[in-house]
Amino acid sequence: MNASGAVGPVVNTRGAVGPVVNASGGVGPVVSARDAGRAILGIETSCDETAAAVVAGGRQVLSSVVSSQVDLHARYGGVVPEVAGRAHVERLVPVMSQALVESALDDSDIAAVAATAGPGLVGALLVGVSAAKALALVWDVPFVAVNHLEAHLHAAFLDEPSLELPVVVILVSGGHTMLVLMEDRLRYRVLGATVDDAAGKAFDKVARYLGLGYPGGPVIDRMSTQGDREAFAFPRAMLHDGWNFSFSGLKTAVINHIRRHPDSAVEDVAASFQEAVADVLVAKARRAAAAHDARGLCLAGGVAANSRLRELTLDACTADGLAAYLPSRAMCTDNAAMVAAAAWWRWQADGPSALTVGADPSLGLPEV
Amino acid sequence: MLILGIESATGRVGCAIGSHEGVRASVQATRERRHAELLAPQIQAACAHADISLRDVAAVAVDVGPGLYTGLRVGVTTAITMAHALRVPVVAVCSLDLVAFPLRHTGRSISVMIDARRGEVFHARYGCLPGGVQRLSDPEVVTPDHIVSQMLARDDESLVVGDGAVRYASMFEGLRGVELADPGFAHPSAESLVLLAHSRAVREEFVRPDEIEPLYLRRPDAQPNPIAGRS
Ligand SMILES: [Zn+2]
Repeated sequence: MNASGAVGPVVNTRGAVGPVVNASGGVGPVVSARDAGRAILGIETSCDETAAAVVAGGRQVLSSVVSSQVDLHARYGGVVPEVAGRAHVERLVPVMSQALVESALDDSDIAAVAATAGPGLVGALLVGVSAAKALALVWDVPFVAVNHLEAHLHAAFLDEPSLELPVVVILVSGGHTMLVLMEDRLRYRVLGATVDDAAGKAFDKVARYLGLGYPGGPVIDRMSTQGDREAFAFPRAMLHDGWNFSFSGLKTAVINHIRRHPDSAVEDVAASFQEAVADVLVAKARRAAAAHDARGLCLAGGVAANSRLRELTLDACTADGLAAYLPSRAMCTDNAAMVAAAAWWRWQADGPSALTVGADPSLGLPEV
Repeated sequence: MLILGIESATGRVGCAIGSHEGVRASVQATRERRHAELLAPQIQAACAHADISLRDVAAVAVDVGPGLYTGLRVGVTTAITMAHALRVPVVAVCSLDLVAFPLRHTGRSISVMIDARRGEVFHARYGCLPGGVQRLSDPEVVTPDHIVSQMLARDDESLVVGDGAVRYASMFEGLRGVELADPGFAHPSAESLVLLAHSRAVREEFVRPDEIEPLYLRRPDAQPNPIAGRS
């Protein structure tokens, strides 16, 4: 289990302006003999991170560069699609070329180029897809279109190659909240999903209402450490009811509470809200693991960086004798290493994608 | 010098390959919102038709707009990525120049209008020169009404062209001294791009790939949120 250490040279400094530099600093990585000739350049532009990475054989991360746009969107209080699209066009070429330089590989060592084709913001996805096809044409190598959700599911393997399946994955981000049973590398079942707001959206909205700024996840996490998570009993919607989630009622309950009790400590409100979200997510995942004989629980997506969610997941796994797979924060948030890794397994199973494949903003997780 | 031209600023998307001898191959389609699907296969087909490898390309030319944002992003990203990977320079050309260029022999002033949606057009005026056109006004985003009143004030002979002119044709029909160009000239073409870019490439009017930015002419709609970003 790897709960905190970053994998390889991955660095994701949210809020950094421009491309992020390889942390290892020293001699570039070397491809193992087993993975030589199997390197994929992956590109991720589905939302507000411009990212590129080189991963060999679906497991060895040779480089991973993320340029976050969080500062660009902060003044709008949320991701603005048009701002994101413009920033991706400006940043992608430098990010890609940095990923290639840090991998210490030559253009001619890249066996395929992959990009996230969906789900996400269409004007943002188009940038990565177009760039990947352009490189595939110039280098005369296959293009592989990647499902962003599938990429998140593969992120944990990069930190924990010996991950044992089946696992129940809590996939939570600003755009998604899903409970997925991962039976095999490319075989999943979506057990449940949010019926309204994504968990990450709820964090953003509550933070905004509390006047804490954007993005909401990190700041609520930080405030919560000073607060009492049992101060207020916010609702746990659908806790005992199937596998779906609902966070819109919780958000409204928090907002109503602040209206009625304006003198409540912000820290207590934040901690109690965060507790309600994490509690519901983990309780359902735990029940799902029992129902489907899963061997572990796994976190994925940006909200998986939340420290209370990680803590509760770990506690649940300890209590139930399950393995806990908590990928590093850099691997939870959007990155291209997970895209290149997922691309490798898809490519092995289905072959390359056609150059006629476009961006699909509402692409679903391929279920078998 | 072999040039690959990439054109996707309007509802049309396409590419062309050419040199000082003219256009060797071009592939174009008018299918709105399908730019990301169509462009890469079109480039592959154009290379096959011209019987060249992308490695033979000495410069990449691209229409940087103004035009439809999603199309521009597909074209500009493809162009700068290819130029970077091929280690060749980029020639950036304005969409309005490309619409005016095929009408360079008409001898009258040309008003180019590319549909900008929301009741507006991207607009610039041109005069004819031997062998080319010269921009008389900077690209702007305006209402067709505004252009009509300017024309009435100037009272000269002019030709109006572009998909914006086609869309708002009824406003220009019947204006004294104003003629609508054939709708066949309405879109910027990849052929014109290659021809125009070739002469610029010969003069080494290149832009570094990292200096290329689409000509949006409009700011994003979103308004900054006063309580956001306080943390
Ligand atoms: Zn994501």
